[in-house]
Amino acid sequence: MKKIITTIVFFTVVLCSAQTQFEKGMEKAFGLWKEGKNAEASAMFERIAAAEKNSYLPNYYVALINTTSVFMEKDKTKIDLLLTKAQDALDIELIKDQANAELYVLQALIYTGYVVADPMTNGMKYSAKVMEAYAKAKAIDPNNPRAVFGEADYQLGGAKWTGVDTKPLCVQVDTAIELFATFKPETPFSPKWGLDRALEAQKNCKK
Amino acid sequence: MKTKLLFTISFLFITALSFAQNTISGKVLDQKGKPVAGANIYLDGTYDGATSSETGEFSFETTETGNKFLVVSILLFETFKTEIDVANYKDQTIKLRENINALDAVVITAGTLESGEKARVSVLKPLDIVTTAGSAGNIVAALQTLPGTQTVGEDGRLFVRGGEASETQTFVDGIRVAQPYGATTNNLPTRSRFSPFLFSGIAFSTGGYSAEYGEALSSVLLLNTQDEADHEKTDIGLMTVGLSLGNTQKWSKSSLSVNMMYVNLAPYQAVIPQNVDWNSPYQSLGGETVYRYNFTNGIFKLYASFDGEKFDLNQKNINFENPVRTDMNNNNFYLNSSYKGSFGTGWQITSGISYGYSKNKLKYNITGIENQENAAQLKLKLSKKVSSHFKISFGTDYFITKYNEDITDNISIDVANGYDSDIFAAYTEGDVSFSKNLALKIGLRYSNNSLLNENNIAPRASLGYKVSKSSQFSFAYGDFSQTPVVDYIKYSKYHQFESEKASHYILNYQFTKPGQTFRAEAYYKDYSNLVQYNTRDIQYNSVFNNKGSGYAKGLDLFWRDSNLYENLEYWISYSYIDSERQYKNFPNMATPGFIANHNLSVVTKYFITDWKSQVGFTNSFSTGRPYNDPNQTQFMNGKTKSYNSLSFNWAYLLTTQKILYFSVSNILGTQNIFGYDYARTPDASGVYQRQAIVPTADRFFFLGFFWTISDNKNENQLKNL
Repeated sequence: MKKIITTIVFFTVVLCSAQTQFEKGMEKAFGLWKEGKNAEASAMFERIAAAEKNSYLPNYYVALINTTSVFMEKDKTKIDLLLTKAQDALDIELIKDQANAELYVLQALIYTGYVVADPMTNGMKYSAKVMEAYAKAKAIDPNNPRAVFGEADYQLGGAKWTGVDTKPLCVQVDTAIELFATFKPETPFSPKWGLDRALEAQKNCKK
Repeated sequence: MKTKLLFTISFLFITALSFAQNTISGKVLDQKGKPVAGANIYLDGTYDGATSSETGEFSFETTETGNKFLVVSILLFETFKTEIDVANYKDQTIKLRENINALDAVVITAGTLESGEKARVSVLKPLDIVTTAGSAGNIVAALQTLPGTQTVGEDGRLFVRGGEASETQTFVDGIRVAQPYGATTNNLPTRSRFSPFLFSGIAFSTGGYSAEYGEALSSVLLLNTQDEADHEKTDIGLMTVGLSLGNTQKWSKSSLSVNMMYVNLAPYQAVIPQNVDWNSPYQSLGGETVYRYNFTNGIFKLYASFDGEKFDLNQKNINFENPVRTDMNNNNFYLNSSYKGSFGTGWQITSGISYGYSKNKLKYNITGIENQENAAQLKLKLSKKVSSHFKISFGTDYFITKYNEDITDNISIDVANGYDSDIFAAYTEGDVSFSKNLALKIGLRYSNNSLLNENNIAPRASLGYKVSKSSQFSFAYGDFSQTPVVDYIKYSKYHQFESEKASHYILNYQFTKPGQTFRAEAYYKDYSNLVQYNTRDIQYNSVFNNKGSGYAKGLDLFWRDSNLYENLEYWISYSYIDSERQYKNFPNMATPGFIANHNLSVVTKYFITDWKSQVGFTNSFSTGRPYNDPNQTQFMNGKTKSYNSLSFNWAYLLTTQKILYFSVSNILGTQNIFGYDYARTPDASGVYQRQAIVPTADRFFFLGFFWTISDNKNENQLKNL
């Protein structure tokens, strides 16, 4: 009996420590990201991705960090590198799973990065791809707030050039905000970003 | 008891952890010994690692023990992996190898102007073809704003670096297009048959191109169709010159695009005054379709186009009192199917077949000319990536051309001429990357022409050297040969012709920064074996020889910038050329009539956000072109006044999917003269009278409304314009 208990306890400890290793790693990476150390955070997530092949999250964050860096990057030569890196990381996960709405939302975001980097060259081609990726995400999960918001936000961003009617898009932003309120991330590390940007967009809509 | 045990275990565990801390440290350098910052260094399969600092240094602690794999990864370098003993890895130096295929590696740019998303340095962007004022959706007109080309307004085709228009060959997905231009006759400009929007990439080589392409003395224009359709949509266009309709369907692995266009210039010409007397204005009905199927490792494409064109006009001719009535009918069909895929390790295959059919029915007063051309090509190309430093490719081409022509006046003349030609060609080419900064391409092309009964071997070589992050030099050399044009070889039964030849030497300098490109290119071209004849016109009983020769040398400059003002893009092209030839029936070396020594194009585009409009101006200027005045003793002694044309366009987005487009060419109404036609015989006072060759109209106005119907509300036809 003692032996059995000992074994159980021993395994629990080992399992717990394994669990905490992932959690610790992820938390450390998030910490670096929050401090604005994007390259270090991306590297940390990459290391976790290399060790944990069963979770899509590390690669998801590698892609997300590098894509969002693009929107703040002034040096155009770096943009291509960041987006290439993001796409490479995302591709690893997209091959494994084609039914994850979050991955398609991120795909749309990478394409948006190309549009923002050089609208004259990439606008036409990637706009179609952005919309297609959001459509796929919504087909998989119609209630994913990031897909619903992202699709509306992308079109709102281009509205001053395209002259598209913003009213239905603003309604879509409102819907997304409601979805954010009810959205339950699967794990503590699952994607849950986007509400603040949606509120920002809502403010602009009311102007 | 239980708690005690648990305590012991966790205690043991923690002490074990703290005891086994090892430090791993070192420095990451590139091949030149410069520090590499931002590299990710870690033990494979663990979370333990670090990022290299600005000085390339790294250091981290790990609880791992024994032998583990250390991985160093960073973009632009090959990933480094080595087995280390965790306890004994301190202050080590790691040298990373550059990834030759990285984004910033040298690309040989001598002679090549590229457009499209795959091009590292785009001289033209995909949208430029349609948003360049004066181009009106004509691929060739947009390319004429690039250096190395000549504006030959009465012809409309591409004239590159002192070469005739026939010296440029067009390829779609790597396969030759035998008849790339629409029907034309005496001094009426033609345009490219291809609508720009089916193509995602354009490479325009003004010389020194790869051994993969033959039968072109001066230049090749490579058009690549899109690999995938954007999405399902219907396009409708209403224009002052006609109607267009398009539809795209997309399935999971395949897609189909169809476009139809009907053009009738009658209503337009009724309103706008013309310099030409039309009996029946230009009319055409055309369509094209692309089908694509994606396999796991490759893509199959089928491209087909047809068009029928007709027009009837009275052209003034200095030799006749009454205008000459010209009635033209043309039917054209082109089919191109290709497969591109990869297999094995590093192998790539490109294969395809094309067939072109063109039939012209031409009537000059009572003389009728009917000609037909059937042209086909078979192509197979294989390439193998041996290592990241070496790639080899080889392939074969087979061209079949059948041409026949009938001339009759329905009274006394009835002549038939024609030829059958088969050309077999094989080539091989190696791409060597010595480093990220030095690349070499070397190739050889062999061809056998059954009609001319000759074998040709043409070497090609080019070299690229990157001197700094933003600038590089390229050099290209090549020998090129081409079967003489149909005007000659249709008389093959009377004379045995030989291929015409040219050698190119090109030195290129390129400077690029985001939003800025500067190119300078100097070249020398040596022509030999050109066809000569001894009569005024080319006839079956002319005495022909292949002893003609010539040269062209010059400097091309190009500057493109989008950083000057927000929403403004502009480019400036300047070409200087000095060229003389003794060919055709030239009595001595002289500059041909299509060459202007200086050409300057300035193109601007400006997006006005508040007006939802893009406006653009293009100004093309060239100095006078030589012409021969028989009243003077010296051959080709005349020179026209210089040419200038300022064009404007305006695209206005009514809503996202509805666009209003307006353009006008030669706003200033400059009275341009391309050259002169002289009378064949002098008049009573012994003077040869002349007639100026002028544009068919001083200005061309275009107004169109384009509407896209699709689920994607951001899609519109801006790119079709």
